[in-house]
Amino acid sequence: MIVGGCDIGSTTGKAVIMKDGEIIASTIIPSTTKPEETARMAMDEALKQADLSSIDDLDYIVGTGYGRLKVQFAKENISEISCHARGAHWMSPTVRTVVDIGGQDCKVMSISDEGKVVEFVMNDRCAAGTGRFFEGMARVLHCGLDGISSLENQGAEPSTITSQCSVFAESEVVTLINEGSDLKNIIAGINNSVSGRLNSMVRKVGLVEDVALTGGCAKNAGLAKALEKHLKVSVKQLPHDPQIAGAVGAALIAVEKAAG
Amino acid sequence: METKLKSKALDEFIQVASTIANPEIQKWKDNGGKIMGYFCSAMPSELITAAGMLPFRLRATGSTGTELSDSYFSSINCTFPRHAFNMALKGDFDFIDGLVIFNSCDHIRRVYDHWIRQLDTPFVKILSLPKKSGAQQVEWFRSELAILRENMETQFGVKITDDKLKEAIKIHNESRRLLRELYELRKSDNPPITGAQTMAVTVASTAMPPERYNQLLKELLDDVKRAEGNTDYRARLMILGGELDNPEFLKVIEDLGALVVTDSVCFGSRLLWKDVDESIDDPLTALAQYQVNERPSCARMFTEYEKRAEYVHSMLSDFKADGAIFARLTFCEVWGFEQYSMINDFKEWDIPLLCIDHEYTLSGVGQLRTRVQAFLETMGK
Repeated sequence: MIVGGCDIGSTTGKAVIMKDGEIIASTIIPSTTKPEETARMAMDEALKQADLSSIDDLDYIVGTGYGRLKVQFAKENISEISCHARGAHWMSPTVRTVVDIGGQDCKVMSISDEGKVVEFVMNDRCAAGTGRFFEGMARVLHCGLDGISSLENQGAEPSTITSQCSVFAESEVVTLINEGSDLKNIIAGINNSVSGRLNSMVRKVGLVEDVALTGGCAKNAGLAKALEKHLKVSVKQLPHDPQIAGAVGAALIAVEKAAG
Repeated sequence: METKLKSKALDEFIQVASTIANPEIQKWKDNGGKIMGYFCSAMPSELITAAGMLPFRLRATGSTGTELSDSYFSSINCTFPRHAFNMALKGDFDFIDGLVIFNSCDHIRRVYDHWIRQLDTPFVKILSLPKKSGAQQVEWFRSELAILRENMETQFGVKITDDKLKEAIKIHNESRRLLRELYELRKSDNPPITGAQTMAVTVASTAMPPERYNQLLKELLDDVKRAEGNTDYRARLMILGGELDNPEFLKVIEDLGALVVTDSVCFGSRLLWKDVDESIDDPLTALAQYQVNERPSCARMFTEYEKRAEYVHSMLSDFKADGAIFARLTFCEVWGFEQYSMINDFKEWDIPLLCIDHEYTLSGVGQLRTRVQAFLETMGK
């Protein structure tokens, strides 16, 4: 059976094709202003990768993410909360807590042995602790997202950034820069403040190991390190790209749906 | 959810609930009638009806911004008073001849401070509503109502006799009885009316002449009884919270396939679940007793949590709800603290609960949709 999962997020569109339980293609492209086109482009690229000539070669497709209603070729849409949980669990079956940090929100899910969501929390219409937040900080610090992520850039004495609001946090960072603080300490401070917020979200659903990060910001190594300090447990490294966890979850659900 | 219910009466209720100055208000004014606005379900509308005036509960339906009121409120104030006061400053409530405010919460209480300075409504009173139930508190609230009665008599040149009050209690009890009949129909396996539709009906009860309302409600009941039930829903849900008057909010939830079968919100079941006791000889005592002791309590009341939890639990089981959504206005302390107690009770009852913080106006629909959809998926629905 060949199935597809398509996750249209605020910042990137992801498509995954799975055949008999294995990923045979996966793509990540920047989101356009037309979600239906983002979906189409991501899936077309994945089809090419999988050497498939047409979307009709897929037995079932599930759409997810903010643009899930606009994935016109999907037979069904499932919330990204269920999909990320499912995808992370498939990548690493011992995972019980999933922290998904996307472009415009973050979510924490506690999941069952079968990869089903038991409870979840989602941040409230605020950029703090999301990709937008890191993008803003990278702009102010002229260091790029890689600069924020790089483990070498995590200063030993993280600056204190108290504001939970990304706009105010940015002002705080500008103040720190002008006070001549060490840039590496500022970077560590940024990851530290986001981790603090994530920590309180994790506590709300209850911390159960293993903990995994998914979503685009899961690639921020500095953040993962800071989160480990806050949670006092290590974060499980997923054997696949954590950014496609939602699309993988959607494809897995597609298998179930196709079977009826 | 595609509704099967067709009813002219319902269309009228929906129109009343989705506007401020609805046609009934216009008609009342054209006939020389006076209108008394009020802000909280603690207001005994009977007192206004007995004065020959039309009771109108203030909402901020259709508000698009807070640019005028933001000079009087901070960004960490609840969006309900901010939107409502903004509309007041724009003149949207100019049709009211008087206004009664309560110390419902600190945010609403401050509306009074600004209203009397910024607007020239001829009659604005603030009443002290007890924060505890009990005999002493009933007496206290009765004396507040007695002062209000006197003030209204002087201001509007009317006599609010006990007989008129008793008559008004009968009329408003009739609304409550009819509304309970409507709620009763939602207990069935295939409720013929959705949660969004029901909310339009309950909201309309606060914005129309009560006799006209009762007549329309009877028509609606006939239509609902004849209507085909809703069968294609994924889950039966209950809505909990404080100020919630927007049927569209429930429609977002129901468009995802859930059916809202009951509620405990202050524009919903808490308005109608109990009657004012008609056997009490002194009608003001009956009204005070109803507001302070009898009706399903608001989270602002001390010492009543157990009673509220019991109410919620019995609603859940009577209406066979699979789960509940707790909708709290951002920055609402009263319902915020209540949320944390409820979370624990729901765990004990083993009933799924989704907590949502929302703004007064329906914004961030995408996030609301994601949460509710994920919640339904979590429930295995």
